[in-house]
Amino acid sequence: MPTVEIPVEKWSGKIHEVRLGGQGRKEVVVGGENTLPFLHFEGSIPNPPVLAVEVLDRDPRDWAEPLLQAWGDVLKNPAAWAKKAVEVGANLIALRLKTAHPEEGNTGAEEAKRVVSSVLEAVDVPLIVLGPEVAEKDNEVLVAASEAGRGQRLALGNCEEKNYRTIGATCLADGHVAIGKTPIEINLAKQLNILLSDLGMSQDSLLMDPTTGALGYGLEYTYSVMERLRLAALGGDKMTSMPMICTVGEEAWRQKEAKTSEGVPDTWGPLAERALRWEEMTAISLLQSGANIIVLRHPSTVEKVQSAITRLMG
Amino acid sequence: MSRFIATAAIKGANDIFNEAETLYQKALKEFGPDGKIGFPNTAYYLPVIYGFTGHKVETVADLVPALNFAKSLLPTPPKENIWLPYLGETLDSGVATLFAEEIIEGIRFALGQQPETRNGFTFNGPIDDVQMRSWGIAMVDGRMPGFAAIIGAAKSNEVAVKIVRELQSRGQLVFLAGNVNGRSMVDQLLEEGVELGYDTYTVPFGSDTISTIYAMGYATRAAYSFGNVKPGDARSMLLYNKFRCFAFGLVLGPVTDLDYATGAGAINYGFPIVADTAVPHILPTGVTQYEHVIGMPFDDIPGDNDLEKAERLVQRCIEIRGIKVKIAKVPIPVAYGPAFEGEIVRRDSLRAEFGGKGGICFEFLQLKDMDDVEDGKITVIGPEVDEVDEGARVPMAIMVGVAGRKMQKDFEPVLERQIHHFLNGAEGIQHMGQRDITWIRFSKGAVNKGFRIKHIGDILHANLHNHFGAIVDKVEITIHTEKAKVEELIEGARREYGERNARIAGLSDETVDTYYSCSLCQSFAPNHICVINPERVGLCGAYNWLDCRASFEINPRGPNQPVLKGATIDPVKGEWEGVNQFVFENSNRAVDRMTIYSLMDAPMTTCGCCECVMVILPETNGVMIVSRDDYGMTPSGMTFTTLMGMVGGGLQTPGMMGHGKYYITSNKFLLAEGGIKRIVWLSKNLKEELAEELKEASEKSGAPDLIDKIGDSESAPTIEELMTFLEQKEHPALTMDPLM
Repeated sequence: MPTVEIPVEKWSGKIHEVRLGGQGRKEVVVGGENTLPFLHFEGSIPNPPVLAVEVLDRDPRDWAEPLLQAWGDVLKNPAAWAKKAVEVGANLIALRLKTAHPEEGNTGAEEAKRVVSSVLEAVDVPLIVLGPEVAEKDNEVLVAASEAGRGQRLALGNCEEKNYRTIGATCLADGHVAIGKTPIEINLAKQLNILLSDLGMSQDSLLMDPTTGALGYGLEYTYSVMERLRLAALGGDKMTSMPMICTVGEEAWRQKEAKTSEGVPDTWGPLAERALRWEEMTAISLLQSGANIIVLRHPSTVEKVQSAITRLMG
Repeated sequence: MSRFIATAAIKGANDIFNEAETLYQKALKEFGPDGKIGFPNTAYYLPVIYGFTGHKVETVADLVPALNFAKSLLPTPPKENIWLPYLGETLDSGVATLFAEEIIEGIRFALGQQPETRNGFTFNGPIDDVQMRSWGIAMVDGRMPGFAAIIGAAKSNEVAVKIVRELQSRGQLVFLAGNVNGRSMVDQLLEEGVELGYDTYTVPFGSDTISTIYAMGYATRAAYSFGNVKPGDARSMLLYNKFRCFAFGLVLGPVTDLDYATGAGAINYGFPIVADTAVPHILPTGVTQYEHVIGMPFDDIPGDNDLEKAERLVQRCIEIRGIKVKIAKVPIPVAYGPAFEGEIVRRDSLRAEFGGKGGICFEFLQLKDMDDVEDGKITVIGPEVDEVDEGARVPMAIMVGVAGRKMQKDFEPVLERQIHHFLNGAEGIQHMGQRDITWIRFSKGAVNKGFRIKHIGDILHANLHNHFGAIVDKVEITIHTEKAKVEELIEGARREYGERNARIAGLSDETVDTYYSCSLCQSFAPNHICVINPERVGLCGAYNWLDCRASFEINPRGPNQPVLKGATIDPVKGEWEGVNQFVFENSNRAVDRMTIYSLMDAPMTTCGCCECVMVILPETNGVMIVSRDDYGMTPSGMTFTTLMGMVGGGLQTPGMMGHGKYYITSNKFLLAEGGIKRIVWLSKNLKEELAEELKEASEKSGAPDLIDKIGDSESAPTIEELMTFLEQKEHPALTMDPLM
């Protein structure tokens, strides 16, 4: 048999290592690789991709049936929910402060503090805190979350071009990690990283969310932008070398294919199975383009994706 | 450096140091070396000392190294007969002063003398940590520019209130300290019933100059919390404050030696000092962003009354510190936003129009001196819109005066061109054209809602600040609607338009050392980077070199970055070392060489937005140029869209290139391949649109009748017909050096 020489690329760059948690809390480190995903023959991948489970600060009544069934009663209590998420294998909890949204209750700093503290108390894994994605409210509740979690090295998001200063500043003051989110665009992602760095944030305190498109809803677009970000990073561009976080669960479960069982062709198969595949496929695809943190919703996806990661890490 | 100020500051520093040393002895006697020293509700020990040296003061004994450090900085006052640049000594004595002041306040706390109580009023003392955090975040995210540390007392209570109100209206925190003959600004404000405290952003520190140290402590702690500054890294701390904390000192009333010494300390932070008395100026920039020390004797400030003078005084402080104005909402009675940009005002809904057929209307934006522009002043001279007949055509001159530290004459047209975009955002207002072909229409609806001519001024004032704040500090608008005056002013404007044209025509690639990049299109063409030079407009036609330069000034982290030309590799092909390096690094290392004047050797890449595509037609030994607006077939057998698909996406394809239409008439057009004489075919619409410019360029190239020899879709729709046409016309390309 002829021997095939595997071409090995020599990269000059390396993804920044970002630590979350620590100081009594479990520590999770992401990044640090100096090669493309899972190419172990080419470089080193010191930290495997990790999985976060999304927890809302209110009962997610509008979620799809398979999710409601899988989690059951804990959905009423963020702390209990987070605890169960850790039991099913979450490396991190991604707490979404949904009720701060002006149309979802418009709660403020006090409520944010209370929920963040209760989740921090319930679990010992690191916490990601996400705002309602309304810049003004994000600023209010994330600053409160930041104070509640001082010293716990949370990840706070999302910084966008409009409000990165406030969240960046509070991360600096309390020693947290900031998540910069940009709409599937390499230069905007890079620019936000530069702006956050200008603010004084060190490179090991930044994550980037390139914005996830679910399977069938722009997945390939996200994949391609992430791939390019990663290629640029490995090529030596420090301002694209931040580990990437993808909100897969939120995007996958939002699509018709993950929600509807009525009025769809029989060939689509039963909803319960189809919805899970949707989340899994989105997650596993994005692992291949360099995702470092994947935020999921369904417990059995956590298991499936974790098993994929374990196998890919060899 | 003023010798007078140096002498006063050094003397002030020596005096306060002695006071601190005496007080230290007292504390040592009273509390012993282990006695506790510190400020309540604040972290970072004695913050200024900690910031400069990393030394933690927690006890009386800990004061010793701080005192020693301050002492080591103390210079001797300048001798009568020796003249030196005293800046270094003055700044050092400033730091020594801050140390001494902080030591004094620290001990006063231990003695129970701080926060100060006077006439039944308790001052604030240092700002506690919770408040510092909250304000610190507001300063980082820009809601609050910085603070004004006021020392002394204003000319009158009325003036004191006005100064505070003016500062508050700009989001500036106000810190109060010091006194003049026992009277302080705090007394003045209290007498006038002004609320003081965190809630009103007006914090009384104390009644002496020493308490100003709490302002410096605040600045130092903010740098720790929000600037990622490590204790003892004085340089980072000072730079943080210089660039992030827009603070300044305002000394009201006679300036004492201690005031000078404290001011010298503040200058170390990049905070300039303004006094309302006659003090020597320190004008050159350096440690601070602009001037260091300015004296504005209050009674000499122009203004009809004290309140106007107070307003000017604050305005001057704002300018010296470089604080930018932001206007959250355009203050007009109709809706404003991009949704109204395409709106058309038709005849039946027309209230009045300005310019257009037979009318006269122009807009003219001009750079002026700082002192000649009063920010926010809007004047309408002549009839307002509600004073003219319905449907009337009214003459109009929109004169915009702008001033700014970083504003340049070359940016005038860049800003002026935005007037179109700005005015169109208003509901019921239509703007067309530019310069002296401006045509504006007001709808009945808009005028009924209260829109007036003066609101044009409001729109321009708000938008110029919001969009061009980086280069514009002040904007004043005067609008004339009297025919005679408009006719008089338009002459001057036209002269200036002519001069601008000449200036741009006179700009050549050789006269500049920097080109600019544009990476706007990398979102869809990741390996494409534009390099824009004076003689080659961006391939989309939207950005010329001046636009890019202004864009870079406005947004230094934006898509237009300077590209240093570096050594010339080939002046004819237009190849420079700096450009190659920049392109390589910014094309994801996909393009390692790029020429600017050649089609055949490493031509510029194209994103997909080009106005024209140029393609070699080998049979003709020339090139054809197809315009984006040309939907027809070309002699190459391909339409614009097909050609675009081949050249776009950041690929380098020798023989094919995208470019802006005005590149065709540039002196540098296809320099490497023989210039404009290479064009054998041109889209008909371009031929017509650029007729005049093409004629001029042809004459320059030595082939004045060239344009008649260039084929188009009518005279030569196919390559065979084109060949016959070219031979018939004896097109010069046929006999030029072979392209391939």
